[in-house]
Amino acid sequence: MSAEAEEPSTKRDWAAIAQKVGVPLASVLLAMIISSVIMWVSGYDPFAAFAALFRGSFGTPKAFGDTLLKSTPLILAGLGLAYGFRANLFNIGAEGQLFMGGLAVAWLGLLLAGQPWWITIPVLLLAAMLAGAAWAFIPAILKARIGAHEVITTMMFTYIARYLVSYLVIGPLKSPGQIPQTGLLPSESQLPRIQSLFSEATLQAMPFLKLGRAHTGIVVALVAAVVVWWLLKYTTLGYENRAVGYNPFAAETGGISVQWTIVKALCISGALAGLAGAVEVMGVHYRLFDQFSSGFGFTGIAVALLAKNHPIAVVPAALLFGAMAAGGGTMQLEANVPQKIILIVQALVIFFVAAEGIVTYFVRQRQKEATSHVG
Amino acid sequence: MNSKSLRVLSVLLAVVLLVAFVPGCATKTDTSDTSGGTTAPKPSIKTAMVTDVGGLGDKSFNDGAYAGLQRAEKELGVEIKVLESKEITDYESNIDQLATAGYSPIFAVGFLMTDTVSKMATAFPDTQFAGVDEFFDPVPANVVGLNFKEEEGSYLAGVVAGLATKDSFDSKLNKDNVIGFVGGMDIPLIQKFEAGYIAGAKAVNPDVKVISLYAGNFTDQAKGKELGYSLIEQKADVIYAAAGQVGLGTIEACKDKGALFIGVDVDQYETVKNSGSVILTSMVKHVDNAVFETVKQAVDGSFPGGSIKIFGLAEDGVGLAPFHDFESKVPQAIKDAVEKARTDIISGAIKVPTTP
Repeated sequence: MSAEAEEPSTKRDWAAIAQKVGVPLASVLLAMIISSVIMWVSGYDPFAAFAALFRGSFGTPKAFGDTLLKSTPLILAGLGLAYGFRANLFNIGAEGQLFMGGLAVAWLGLLLAGQPWWITIPVLLLAAMLAGAAWAFIPAILKARIGAHEVITTMMFTYIARYLVSYLVIGPLKSPGQIPQTGLLPSESQLPRIQSLFSEATLQAMPFLKLGRAHTGIVVALVAAVVVWWLLKYTTLGYENRAVGYNPFAAETGGISVQWTIVKALCISGALAGLAGAVEVMGVHYRLFDQFSSGFGFTGIAVALLAKNHPIAVVPAALLFGAMAAGGGTMQLEANVPQKIILIVQALVIFFVAAEGIVTYFVRQRQKEATSHVG
Repeated sequence: MNSKSLRVLSVLLAVVLLVAFVPGCATKTDTSDTSGGTTAPKPSIKTAMVTDVGGLGDKSFNDGAYAGLQRAEKELGVEIKVLESKEITDYESNIDQLATAGYSPIFAVGFLMTDTVSKMATAFPDTQFAGVDEFFDPVPANVVGLNFKEEEGSYLAGVVAGLATKDSFDSKLNKDNVIGFVGGMDIPLIQKFEAGYIAGAKAVNPDVKVISLYAGNFTDQAKGKELGYSLIEQKADVIYAAAGQVGLGTIEACKDKGALFIGVDVDQYETVKNSGSVILTSMVKHVDNAVFETVKQAVDGSFPGGSIKIFGLAEDGVGLAPFHDFESKVPQAIKDAVEKARTDIISGAIKVPTTP
């Protein structure tokens, strides 16, 4: 689970990296092949389907903008999961921390009305991280102190968070009107769309900047990916995190406080999930309601898995899932393929990544055959 | 050697299973429409709908709206298309793509799409939009809101429940004169169901005690079962649930502890298997009729843009489903009372409240 990318100093390391990248790529390819067969058997044209999927996710600047829009929360949630996995912690409750992040932003954003954006946006992002971290803190303490399994506790905390948000948007935080949702965030608290940062003339000159709904939350996500990568690779914090993930007993013997490391790891994981909730509220909906997240905390697990827990690899992995989500509409419209097929493709990707053994088995078999031919 | 072939075999098996299993699921939601263009008299317009995240197969308003479109395809010869949404952020891109592709009117199903429809109506001023369960204030000129007087249908459900609990035509009915209501979320939309139900029951049985419980969501079936048990514990013998999938749990509780159930949105006798012994009737919302009528108006060039249309008993927008297995058991007096309430509501003699 905890794969490690070392400095590629020798040829052998390059080969190791190639294998690390190769397996997820092969998994995606295999998933595409099998779903093509499924589509073909069901009477759909797989080539038309994938062509439409591609057009709907990368075909135009607007389509690519949708892919970015859908990838943004997945990058952040995936980073949170990956950071936890590195310490051998399964923060399955990222969804709950994401809800708390969204809640913090939706509530504080209204209170901060009238402040300039350079105050509100940093404060809100920070608040969301704190809220997410706080929501992970109790499961973290329970895990560190009495060994309560984080899969159970964080999951339970997800239910609490979801019901809390549900209650608040129906009750105390509800804005006037028919729909149970909080009030609209003032524009200073909104993450602006990327295309709104450029003048009309610039957009005319460079049409590839017309990214539609893509918002600056993607910048937050990319910065977070670099920061997490740096944390894991170059800081004591990250070193301890990895050490505990590899072997807690050895880490303890080496003078690392395992308990404290677990608490820190889950809280950082929660903070990143909270950030995912924040960008959804600040960049997409500008308000909070019951169903504002489409299970990003859970899809984040698949993203981290596909990225093999490497923070930089989380970005392309999230883009893949974002693209599949963004292209689904075009696939339905142009290739008449139902949305459910997309779910099958996603499931197959996860299946093959999880069942990495199958892929490596075939790769090894190939290698064996190749060497035997040479021999 | 042995374990190797075993592994290969297991992979093959997995693939075969997948291939064998999937077509059944996939063909069911086939949205393609290749015959419409050739057999229909003249494909005058292209109309489409965007489902909410519930998607097709929800046995509720998404399926209802789709049924309306299918009828329009058959009877009016229009071209139809459905885009299912998987995420909230799909709403806008789906509507955007349909509008760009020239579909009009576009039906957006579910109140969560209200904001998106308003926005897209501005972006595509020449496209017609219809929002199911959506209120707009103000209503853009190219948008119609399709809403339902759920309180009127619920009033009839209340009349049935209020009289049934006094009667004893079925062994599951007791003498305690208590009926129950299970709501999804405590929001104005669901309060309309509750208000109508209570008003109907009290009108025919002033002493009846109505206990209302809310689940806090529309999905938690376990919660629905728990609330059902709780109501039956408090002697309720007829329970009406306006709570989406939560109601399915309540049906289980009714089967378990012996109480009658009144379904919602669609005729749940038809959609929930093996529940005929407890489903007395259902309060039906005819989303299909509303959608069909709207397509028809668009074809005729009389699309009611800029207005909120409200479908009640008079418009056949809401109503009661048949009693099915209870048809012979339910006394004529109850059927007459329902009929009287219906005519009184249509004539305006009875005004049904919208808040409890």
